[in-house]
Amino acid sequence: MNSNDVLSWIHARATARARRAWGWAPTLLREVSRALLVSLLLVQTAIVGAADNARTIVEEAQHRTDAKSQRYEGLLQVFDAKGTVTDKRWTFERLGSHGASKAVLRFTAPAEVKGVALLVVNHSDRASDQWMWTPAIERDRRIALQDRSTRFFGTDFSFEDLEERDVNQFDYVLEREEPVDGAACWRIQSTPKETKSSQYTRSIIWIQKDTYALVRIENYVKDKIVRRLNYSDIQNVQGIWTGRQMEMADLTRGSRTRLTLEKLQYNLPFKDDDFTLQAIRRQ
Amino acid sequence: MTLLRLISLPYFRKHVLRTMLTMAGIVLGVAVFVGMHTANQSVLDAFSHTVDRIAGKTELQVTAGETGFSEDVLERVQAAATVRVAVPVIEAVVDINLSGPSSQGNLLVLGVDMTGDRSLRDYNFDSAPGSAASPGNDDAGIDDPLVFLAQPDSLMVSRDFADKNHFAVGDKVSLGTAQGQRQFTIRGVMASSGLTSAFGGNLAVMDVYAAQRMFGRGRSFDRIDLAVKPGRTIVECENELRQLLGPGFQVDPPSGRGQQFEAMMSAYSMMVNISSLFALFIGMFIIYNSFAIAVTQRRSEIGILRALGATRAQIRWLFLGESAITGLIGSLGGLAFGLLIARGIAASIGALITDVYGVAQHADDIATSPTVLLSALAIGIVTSIVAAAIPARTAARVDPVQALQKGKYQVLSAGESRVRAVAATLLGVASVACLGFGGSRIVFYAGYFLSIVAALLLSPILALALAKAIRPILKWIRPVEGVLAADSLIQAPRRTSASVAALMLSLALVIGFAGMARASYDSIIDWMTTALNPDLFVLPSQSIVTRTIRFPREMGPELASVPGVERVQMVRDARIMFRQTPVMVVAVEINSVAETARRTPVAGDPADMYRRAAAGEGLIVSDNLAQLQHLALGDTLEIPAPAGVIRLPIVGIVIDYSDQQGTILMDRSLFTRYWNDDSVNVFRLYLKAGAPVPEVRQQILDRYAGNRQVFVMTNGELKGYILKVTDQWFGLTSIQIAVAVLVAILGIVNTLTVSITDRRRELGVLQAVGGLHGQIRRTIWIEALSIGTLGLVLGFLLGAINLYYILQIVHHDIAGMRLDYEFPWSTALALVPTILGAAIIAAIWPAESAVRGSLVEALEYE
Repeated sequence: MNSNDVLSWIHARATARARRAWGWAPTLLREVSRALLVSLLLVQTAIVGAADNARTIVEEAQHRTDAKSQRYEGLLQVFDAKGTVTDKRWTFERLGSHGASKAVLRFTAPAEVKGVALLVVNHSDRASDQWMWTPAIERDRRIALQDRSTRFFGTDFSFEDLEERDVNQFDYVLEREEPVDGAACWRIQSTPKETKSSQYTRSIIWIQKDTYALVRIENYVKDKIVRRLNYSDIQNVQGIWTGRQMEMADLTRGSRTRLTLEKLQYNLPFKDDDFTLQAIRRQ
Repeated sequence: MTLLRLISLPYFRKHVLRTMLTMAGIVLGVAVFVGMHTANQSVLDAFSHTVDRIAGKTELQVTAGETGFSEDVLERVQAAATVRVAVPVIEAVVDINLSGPSSQGNLLVLGVDMTGDRSLRDYNFDSAPGSAASPGNDDAGIDDPLVFLAQPDSLMVSRDFADKNHFAVGDKVSLGTAQGQRQFTIRGVMASSGLTSAFGGNLAVMDVYAAQRMFGRGRSFDRIDLAVKPGRTIVECENELRQLLGPGFQVDPPSGRGQQFEAMMSAYSMMVNISSLFALFIGMFIIYNSFAIAVTQRRSEIGILRALGATRAQIRWLFLGESAITGLIGSLGGLAFGLLIARGIAASIGALITDVYGVAQHADDIATSPTVLLSALAIGIVTSIVAAAIPARTAARVDPVQALQKGKYQVLSAGESRVRAVAATLLGVASVACLGFGGSRIVFYAGYFLSIVAALLLSPILALALAKAIRPILKWIRPVEGVLAADSLIQAPRRTSASVAALMLSLALVIGFAGMARASYDSIIDWMTTALNPDLFVLPSQSIVTRTIRFPREMGPELASVPGVERVQMVRDARIMFRQTPVMVVAVEINSVAETARRTPVAGDPADMYRRAAAGEGLIVSDNLAQLQHLALGDTLEIPAPAGVIRLPIVGIVIDYSDQQGTILMDRSLFTRYWNDDSVNVFRLYLKAGAPVPEVRQQILDRYAGNRQVFVMTNGELKGYILKVTDQWFGLTSIQIAVAVLVAILGIVNTLTVSITDRRRELGVLQAVGGLHGQIRRTIWIEALSIGTLGLVLGFLLGAINLYYILQIVHHDIAGMRLDYEFPWSTALALVPTILGAAIIAAIWPAESAVRGSLVEALEYE
């Protein structure tokens, strides 16, 4: 996205807002207001570069998905290269959002994996801590930082992909506007900061312009794209635009994993104690 | 070359069988050398290969001997600045109880954390039903990776193992675990690749945390495999981890495990080396004998050549050329035969190592080291040339006139006898003198060598003397044949001496090894009687040396509550690295042991030794450790352990044969504290007076049936097991006996062949004047028996000396075992009919040859 595009976008949004706010006002006032707004925007454009715009967009997108908590029941479907589908179900509970959240993912089906749980404690300044609980042997294990690049139990997600992306852990560059499935989107490049340990060299993210919802992430290792995550069925759930279906494609393996979020709820009254190792061992 | 073509080739063609016999000597020597070295190397290589394959991209491994260490060490290692990836590993070799001929043996189970292990190892999964798989396709070969981790019965096996046993994904396999026989489900198959070729392809992978449970590891890992962060060096990483973990841990490249294994096997390797060198040495004598025969047979030919103008140098080079060619062909044959027998020997060594060291091996591939093969070829040729040097020199010195005088050449002149006697005496005195310098091993070995040379120098003189001594006996047995046979030996001692010398050397080796075995047996039985006196032993494996599976300490009180059990002692033993050597730590309740198996120390006061050791104020070491590591009573030992360095004085030295490299006995509380490990390898059970052993044993088996793998051995069974393993260890002796018998046959056949050739006219005259075929045959047979007898007598004499040296070597250089000198009479008695029988067999063909030859040609001879 070049600066003209940014300007036209800002102008359009400002005009729309102005219309909504001041539609009843006299024409002169509207003209003055418009002139003032344009002046302000021009100044802003001169000062703020494309990078900051990108960061602002991502911040806004993150801000819009802020919630005290989240819960859903997930249907995980792994489609291998031969087209075979393996289904698994889990419940996902999250306390907090983004940089300071904790989440427990617990498998509920099939029977062989029922009770296997993953505790993820996200940090804003470093990689998350993750533990796995296997009830059959009554053991928890720490998923070491070095292991995050491995696949998450045969899915096309890696353990790292399960971490929540915090805006402060990446640098952003707004590349351009690019529609995804007909919806206007910003295409932004994010590069992990030095403090962020990541298997990916960079990622390209697409954010829907009207809802600020994430619609696609492409992950690169050096210059090769390795994974693509598509969000679909984007719905407004309790004021938060959420892709109810996520599909991660492993482009090297030729397989994909679809996660469907069912019974999605936000801002439930969870307790901090439910997001500890003791808690996942208990259940 | 012309001489070789014109003279040697027709001779060889005419005497094909004899030429073959000559070569047989070198074939035998080279084959034993190649076979034993190749087999030994194959086993070592198999271990290194397994280590390499399992290590994958591992650059360093963190271990604490065999003991393993607490899980928390993993996080400390992972947090190190120089470590890129560190993963826990548990390794266990388990029995596979499958039906079918190809299903016997062991399976190496590798417990790994699959969530991160693929950073280090390439599992290269095969296609599994219901999954897309292609080479390198991550875990597509596991039916379901989550199920694999979630279910503790999950197992991934190599394609080789699956194919051999007709397994597919979803099939069940029964394995022996700490919890008894357990059914495992095959949830993945790994394609044949680097990793899966480890341990002969009998490899399985399971989750490390499930493995902890299955093999009774508690919350510990056997080792940590790691890779270094890019930009940092292995040395940097090693230093950081050593600093971080302390001296109780070893941080070494994977190859370090191979070196530890070699160190552990050093005693065995040394025995193999001694045996193979002796075989070569004996082979040398056979060649010497053969060439001496050839010179004898062809002396008239040599005389004619010399008369026609051939120079001495030409004659010498003719024989040396022949020996080089014979050596080359014989060595090539030896290489082929050696490689052929190597597989069998390797299997035998593999079984031995499994039983003695508890390290299962699969030496499926024979390590044909070019160095060994080329060395053997070179040694074979050089040995052949060296062995032929004296006959060649003799041939070159043949006087054309003397050459036509039958038998004159074989006489040992009085001057030569005197020189030999003086030289032998001087060397004998020197060898005895060398014993005075016990501190220097080089001087000791020089003395050993000198004693053998002295014996070799003396052998013709002693053979002559003995032949004269037995003449009256032979005359008394068979007045005609006996005298003829004895005279043949007396008149030509040189002809007989090489055979006798070869036989003497060979038998001396057998006596040495058998004596060592006998002394070891007696010593081990003494030790077992005092130290291993419980009524029952409860073990997690059928093998007393396998430490793959361990018991929890909670079993102690459970066993104590079994009716009839009076006392339970918990034993934890494991190899640790002490002064760069793997030695055994045996942790027992010293107070209890002091009451039940009180041993008299070699050094130290018994009461003080047990009191201080029980209080954790001192350590007891085995005599062999003290000997090998030059330790004395009162010395302070520094034993690195995961929780710090144990610094305690030696409060007693006892005889203990728990390990060849030595044993450190400590109180169990000390071990538990420093290794943070309270598991148990063996429970020693003492029963109440009158309690029936079979019933108590059955009660224990019933108590744990279905929930724990428990083997209960009675005192007699355990001792029998140890003696069986000792038998295996000394199995080399049987190879030596086989070589000795072969040497006897080859040597005697050669000697008799010459004897018959030399006495062809004499035998012809005998027949002409009415000598019966039976008399001729008996003469030859008696001569053969006499050679065998001379070899036996001299072999036993040199064997008695050899045994002394071998016991000294065992004490000071191999196992540190203090063994009492005891001549192995039973072996000696068994050798008498064996060698005499071999002599008779060896005499059959020459005797027949003597009676079936043309009488006219015999009378025309010379």
